[in-house]
Amino acid sequence: MAASQIMEMTSSEDEDQDLIELEAIRRPYRAVKFDLTHANQEDLEAQRYHEPKHTNALYRNSWSSSTQRVLSSMPSRSIRFNQSTALSRSTKMRRRRPLSIVSTAHCATDQDVFRGQEDCDDDVTQNEDLLNKLQGLSAGECVRVLREMSLTVSEKRQIRAWVVCWDAGQPLSANRALCCHQFKSFISFLKVLCGGCYSRVSQQKSIKLWQGVLKNISAHFGTGILSYFIFLRRLLHYNILLFLITGLFLVLPQISNPPSSKNKPAATADLWMFTGMGILTDSVMFYGHYANSTNGNCKAEMKLCPENYNIPLAYIFTIGAGMFITCVMLVYRISKSFGRSFRTFKTTSNLALKVFCSWDFKVSKKRSVKLQSGNICIQLKEMLSELSCKKQKRNLYSTFGWLSLHFLVWSICLLCIAACMLAVYYLHPYIDQGSSKVNSFQKAVGLLKLPLVMSCVSHLLPGFFDMLSRVEHYDSPRTQVYVSIARNLLLKGCIFSVLCYQWLKKISGRKNEQNKQQCWETLVGQELYRLVLMDLLIAMSYIILAEFLWGLCIRNITLRKRKLEFDIARDVLELIYSQTLVWFGVLFSPLLPAVQIGKLFLLFYLKKTSLMMNFQPPRKHWKATQMNALFTKLLFFPSFAGALAFVIYTMWRVRPSSDCGPFSNLRSMLLLGKRWIRGLGRSNPSFVWLSWAYNNLVDNPLFLFTLVGLFLAIIYIHMQVLDGQKMIISRLQKQIDNEGEDKKFLIAKVQALNEASAQQ
Amino acid sequence: MGGTSTKLPKDLLSEYQELTFLTKQEILLAHKIFSELQDRENGPYSTRVSMEKILTLPELKSNPFQKRICHVFSTSDMKDGSLSFEDFLDLLSAFSDSATLEIKSHYAFRIFDFDDDGTLDARDLEKLVNSLTGETDDTRLTAEEMRQLISNILEESDIDKDGTVNLSEFQHVISRSPDFVSSFKIVL
Repeated sequence: MAASQIMEMTSSEDEDQDLIELEAIRRPYRAVKFDLTHANQEDLEAQRYHEPKHTNALYRNSWSSSTQRVLSSMPSRSIRFNQSTALSRSTKMRRRRPLSIVSTAHCATDQDVFRGQEDCDDDVTQNEDLLNKLQGLSAGECVRVLREMSLTVSEKRQIRAWVVCWDAGQPLSANRALCCHQFKSFISFLKVLCGGCYSRVSQQKSIKLWQGVLKNISAHFGTGILSYFIFLRRLLHYNILLFLITGLFLVLPQISNPPSSKNKPAATADLWMFTGMGILTDSVMFYGHYANSTNGNCKAEMKLCPENYNIPLAYIFTIGAGMFITCVMLVYRISKSFGRSFRTFKTTSNLALKVFCSWDFKVSKKRSVKLQSGNICIQLKEMLSELSCKKQKRNLYSTFGWLSLHFLVWSICLLCIAACMLAVYYLHPYIDQGSSKVNSFQKAVGLLKLPLVMSCVSHLLPGFFDMLSRVEHYDSPRTQVYVSIARNLLLKGCIFSVLCYQWLKKISGRKNEQNKQQCWETLVGQELYRLVLMDLLIAMSYIILAEFLWGLCIRNITLRKRKLEFDIARDVLELIYSQTLVWFGVLFSPLLPAVQIGKLFLLFYLKKTSLMMNFQPPRKHWKATQMNALFTKLLFFPSFAGALAFVIYTMWRVRPSSDCGPFSNLRSMLLLGKRWIRGLGRSNPSFVWLSWAYNNLVDNPLFLFTLVGLFLAIIYIHMQVLDGQKMIISRLQKQIDNEGEDKKFLIAKVQALNEASAQQ
Repeated sequence: MGGTSTKLPKDLLSEYQELTFLTKQEILLAHKIFSELQDRENGPYSTRVSMEKILTLPELKSNPFQKRICHVFSTSDMKDGSLSFEDFLDLLSAFSDSATLEIKSHYAFRIFDFDDDGTLDARDLEKLVNSLTGETDDTRLTAEEMRQLISNILEESDIDKDGTVNLSEFQHVISRSPDFVSSFKIVL
């Protein structure tokens, strides 16, 4: 079948010529044609001896038809071989029961099951192999293996029917249909009993949010821009989780059990929704409202009457649990993406990779498909031209120029960052809630100045940095992306550190002064609340101004009706920044995740509308998986880790304010938890082990040191194993090269023999 | 023709769910779309849908590999690219979210193997590059560039140096690209 197809393809003269020229380009100084007119063995060997080490590609056109018939039936070129190797890779050989009933009769009747086989004996033996391997597996494993084989569904069903009947002990004969039917009905009965949680739980996808919208986006714009929206959706999941935990275990009990009204009445304030002052100050939104201890005055009418609900303890545990679960989810995602973006050793040029992997099958609109084809063409041409022309060596003068340009741009960026830090430092408001000298509205505006400046800076300055980096000519676009990400992070990190410094100063300043009636935790929570809201407002106005209006101008003014380009890196970093704010603030404002949820919803729909109207599909190929891995790591490492460090430091070292909040009579928040666990053993004898475990394992430095030492030793062992494996890989590579040489030799011999026999 | 809106029997549905990478909702949606295509078939009712009708699906309409996809997944004896419902499920399963890299690379290889001989030789690669870059003149590569490209591809991916890329070598190249799994997807 395959051989006949090959024979039909006539080798034309110019194709030969093409292939010869191909060789000439590759190796201009070596012998080009592998001359096979010599049937003489010695001549062949002599010719081979003169050939250089990595010899030419073999030309199929110069083989005779009998040689080509042999070549086409080589195992590595048959689909059946590939399927059986796939099978052996996916199963480990378990116990092997001999299959005694398979006969050639089966082969004759069921030949359509395994396609593409001409040889019936081969078919039988491969059938046997397959069935043997499948018999030794459990039902679930068998199904999993079958699913991963590249056969058609009808073939898989037949195989499964055979295996199932064989397992059920029935001979494969006329009552095959009956036994299978009985078996299947039994299985479906079991399934009904189990309530539908059958084997595919791990792969079962729930109905995902925004699935249709995302598909539309990917159809127009491809995988790169889709990754931004998927990132947004993932952040939404994290926030929903945090909100559920704090809402169910902290906010609801507090709402159902309100504390006795405090002395001062709730002050009114202008713009209370934006500043977080006024009504919101003493609400469940912020730390100060939460009860100090177990509240005795519980109304009898309410059903949920958590008399013994310890709000301070719940506060520590819910925030701690929320952060811990988020940490686990982030680390899990990083480990998954780390495995996927791992690259093997050979990274010379990537043309083959580009040709085989760059087509995005999700894009389905005609215009986008055309654009994609155009992009791929341009990229291939660029890569080819890069390969053909040599890299220009930089002389001293141009190196100096390049260095000075970089130095200039970096110094501009650092100056801008320093200016922002100073602005944040001086604009930090000194809040004096007691003073009523200033108008309430002006006070609100004064409070909003800092968040406004910070949000504007974080939205606009990265764009400025991007423009600067376009002036510098980087070697590769990837370096450019990394440099702009680094600058962006530096800017945000510096601003955050100034903010944290200001807060700590304020806290310690409050200790020195006489105790005013102010909750520093609530103040910090309010600041973060303002930052989150301002960020949303500025983002919305940026989208409206810079994307809608500016995009409209660009479309009408430029001749080619160009649209804007979506800057994925910058937008994802914006999301990371806003999420960092939420994580910083969740300790002081437990409802902040809810605000973030609303914000993410709003952003999603705005961005999507703006994308469809104002943007064009990207010109450059966006390495989505690598970038996703990078962004997940960034979300974990500076963003979440910083927030976690801040929260832990606050809970551990900083003294809570003494007149508000759940921890008002303690030296630190964590002390409450410690006291509770230590006291648990005494109060409740069945939990003695927990208290023992805490005292001797968690609170014991020696144990922790040995644990860490053990982990380090395991990591070291794995590193050594990896080194050994690298060596093995290089040896295997050499072995494959040798096998390739043997293969060429043997093919040449076959050709020689065929020609010799043809001549006779 | 013939308003046949047969429902998919439950045990068949669960069997498809086990043997393919599709979820129940995806299989039901596929069944619905396939029945619609069957209804629009001109001619007597058959279990297969012709290639022209399959290619009217919006996901495949502008895809340059549309014909190859139909030929690869078709089990019809006449080799005309017509798909039965199970072939259609195979197609969706290979292109689904949860299909493994092995499956995807296997089918990608078969799609790119334009002459169906089990390897990618220089002619297959040339046709592949032409499909990728489009049919218009300004996006085609010149003959010189094509030669250089193909020789570079063979140099990079042909491990045993026999002038063609077989399945293992193809999978070896694919394993270096983490984006392949996400770009080799079609969702209805």
